[in-house]
Amino acid sequence: MPTPGTATTSTGTTGTATATATATAGTATAAAAERRRTAPRTRRFTSRPGVAVAALTALLPLAAACSSTANGAADQAAAGPPKAGGTLTLAVPYGPTCLDPHQGQADALFSRAVLDSLVWQDEKGAIHPWLAKSWKISDDQRTYTFVLRPGVTFSDGTPFDAAAVKANLDHVVAPATKSAGAAQLIENYRSATVVDDHTVEVTLAAPASSFLSGLASPGLGIESPATLTDDPKALCSKIVGTGPFTSAAGFTPQQGITYQRREGYAWAPEGAANQGPAHLDGLTVRVVPENSSRLGALTSGQADAASAIAPVNVAKLKADPGFAVQSAVAPGVPFSYNPNTEKGALSDVRLRKALRAGIDWPLIVEKLYFGVYPAAQGPLSPTTPGYSKSVADQYKYDPAASAALLDEAGWTARDAENYRTKDGKRLTLDFLYVGDYFGPHVALATQIQAAAKQLGIELRNQNLDAGSYVKRVLAGDYDLLNSSNNNFSPDGLRLIFGSAHIPTTKIDNNAARYHDAGVDAKLAEALAAGDPQKQNSLYAEVQQKVTDDAAILPLFNNAYVLGRSAKVHGVVFEQQSFPNFADAWLSQ
Amino acid sequence: MIGAVARRLGGSVLVLWGAVTVAFLALHLTSGDPVDLLTGLRASSDGLRAEIVREYGLDRPLALQYLTFLSHILQGDLGDSYVLHLPVRTAIGQQLGSTLQLLAATVVVTVVIAVPAALLGAGRRPWVRTPVSLLEGLGVAVPAFWLGTLLLGVFSFKLRWFPALGAPGIDGLVLPALALAAAPAAVIARVLRRGLEQTLDEPFVTTARTRGVGEAAVRLRHGLRHGLLPVATLVGWLTGSLIGGAVVVESVFSRQGLGTLAVTAVRNKDLPLVIGIVLVAGLVYTVVNTAVDLSYRLIDPRLRTREA
Repeated sequence: MPTPGTATTSTGTTGTATATATATAGTATAAAAERRRTAPRTRRFTSRPGVAVAALTALLPLAAACSSTANGAADQAAAGPPKAGGTLTLAVPYGPTCLDPHQGQADALFSRAVLDSLVWQDEKGAIHPWLAKSWKISDDQRTYTFVLRPGVTFSDGTPFDAAAVKANLDHVVAPATKSAGAAQLIENYRSATVVDDHTVEVTLAAPASSFLSGLASPGLGIESPATLTDDPKALCSKIVGTGPFTSAAGFTPQQGITYQRREGYAWAPEGAANQGPAHLDGLTVRVVPENSSRLGALTSGQADAASAIAPVNVAKLKADPGFAVQSAVAPGVPFSYNPNTEKGALSDVRLRKALRAGIDWPLIVEKLYFGVYPAAQGPLSPTTPGYSKSVADQYKYDPAASAALLDEAGWTARDAENYRTKDGKRLTLDFLYVGDYFGPHVALATQIQAAAKQLGIELRNQNLDAGSYVKRVLAGDYDLLNSSNNNFSPDGLRLIFGSAHIPTTKIDNNAARYHDAGVDAKLAEALAAGDPQKQNSLYAEVQQKVTDDAAILPLFNNAYVLGRSAKVHGVVFEQQSFPNFADAWLSQ
Repeated sequence: MIGAVARRLGGSVLVLWGAVTVAFLALHLTSGDPVDLLTGLRASSDGLRAEIVREYGLDRPLALQYLTFLSHILQGDLGDSYVLHLPVRTAIGQQLGSTLQLLAATVVVTVVIAVPAALLGAGRRPWVRTPVSLLEGLGVAVPAFWLGTLLLGVFSFKLRWFPALGAPGIDGLVLPALALAAAPAAVIARVLRRGLEQTLDEPFVTTARTRGVGEAAVRLRHGLRHGLLPVATLVGWLTGSLIGGAVVVESVFSRQGLGTLAVTAVRNKDLPLVIGIVLVAGLVYTVVNTAVDLSYRLIDPRLRTREA
């Protein structure tokens, strides 16, 4: 099934780890009076082919341009107080790989309506109480003691308590769960101990500054322990949680899922606009693979909102007073080309820099996506905590510098087709992709190929079947791959540039095969650091180093683009830039 | 007669076994480790891979996997889909009804379009026949996905007469059935018209007319049955083209169905699901072809033997 915008060598880790938790050892965070679910920034996005399958990357369908659409707050002010009632219909391009986020690639959109998490993370990365009302972190950063909110129940009547938390954490890491993303978020989790009904003590194998952020991610949504003992497969179509909505019938492939309001819901995250039950009676999510059908359903009023509006349609939809476009730039590592730094022509850093400077990447992105996806300038998206702006000026178009670098590297001669040669060999680079996953971006690859030709570089775009692709990736038999990684934490850098993640025996995220002992050490140190400032300076150094080494050629930042009718209000984006409907309402 | 039925049944079982075996081999012989496909090309831990290998028995010899798989099928156990995390029977069951509805509606629309068009157009003067045959040409030439998109744009998004989001019920079937029926209706109309034209030149038709039988009665009672014979031979091809077309139409109209499910399953090398769909499609095919064979006897008395 379809899957996703782009594929790559690897999968998006959908989780996030973040490091800027404000919880310092020994104290519970006081709630910041932050609005809870983050207001969207304004941008847009692309869609992926209608494949509903586990994609290489947990790519968001993106869409969008800078939108003037208001964030939830401004919109609320204009529309007056929220009205209760009504059912919101949302059209999406593909369904979840598995409704249970412990197993699937956290498809937050589908599980978040039903599942709450222990903590909530705002758009700045600060952690706030949710199902856990406070927590303490031991001095050695290995023991987290959570005090749970009393009076919370799962929709099947099971009380939420310390045993439920333990059951959930154990379920995420159990081998039988075959977790695709959630287990990575809490990879240092070792065990949990029930102290009393409302106190649970969690022990880590090693300090992990990203642990609370992992707990806040939709992937760590808390499910009813009564359901966790069944066959894990059953959870892929039905889940039970404490959230603002329930879904009795569950998800049907190629059709969708219908949610009902959970009456009596009273434990929204601290600072949420709506502390009580959801305003909507129901939420219907329909799988509509075709871009034109989704847009038509929205404009004809058959759907109230549609995600993954194609970039080409965004401007027109925004110009229509009956509709609005909301978008959020995804955090994590941008949609990028990853040069093979281990072998082949691009193991020479001068060639990587020549490629980075010699192609006008932002222009290509602008031409193809109409400004809906912002051009990327650095190894992290600006919406990621710990993003370092200082590297941006090294991602500039400079054809003269590029030509000088190529000459310096010895690629001075030209052959009959005007490609550069060295020792009689043409400068040829192989870019590998899997058509099923990369589909919507083929035009992009073609543009990049044409730009490379201007530099005298022959770029061969090779569309492979998944089997051949995997073989060549594991063998390191490529010059360029494509990847992106939606991750609300600078710890995502570890998955992309850490030498432990080079794909040799199995597919993994370090497509550049980047191996730098200093970077490995800094990433490990940042993960173990309790002090957010220290973490941020370490992550900034890593971003500088991989930029100096030109270990990544970023193209654009993914964005989640949601088209909606003007009568829809209060939709906000959360941690991984998925829309959240807990505060949404409909005006008639 | 009983012997004939037994032979036919035996043949069908062989066909199904062959189809399932080919599907099994095709998926196993294409390049790529099934484990990579099962992890969806995601970064995966060794533990996850080991668990997948264990669960699906991928570490056993191919011959053993094949025998295990056959014995499960004989016990009616189609296993679990790798990707949907559902038993194959459930996955197919969820989608089958929707596809059967679409196919039934398409057959109705096809007949409603093709038969009157052929009856009206056969042996008429050029001013009647030319538009009919132009439409036939168009129907064959227009791709289903384009027609579907067009129908959606006009009748659902603009005029709002019909729902677009794979709605259940009759009104949700109209547009997809039209889009899917266009090509078969055009082909059948043409074949039927030719058959009718030939029949209308036969001496017995002239005889009927001299007896004073009206034109409508001649065409309906005498012409149509003769004209249907060549159409019956097309039914096998028609079944195939409908199943193929359903894939596209289901996707355009966001309908649930086996077509989309099949594409997904093949793309993901979701072996159990592919086998399940092959079995269902094979079953439909054999049933249709058997029915066609039997229908010849109903249409053409010359084929009825005196065995019974």
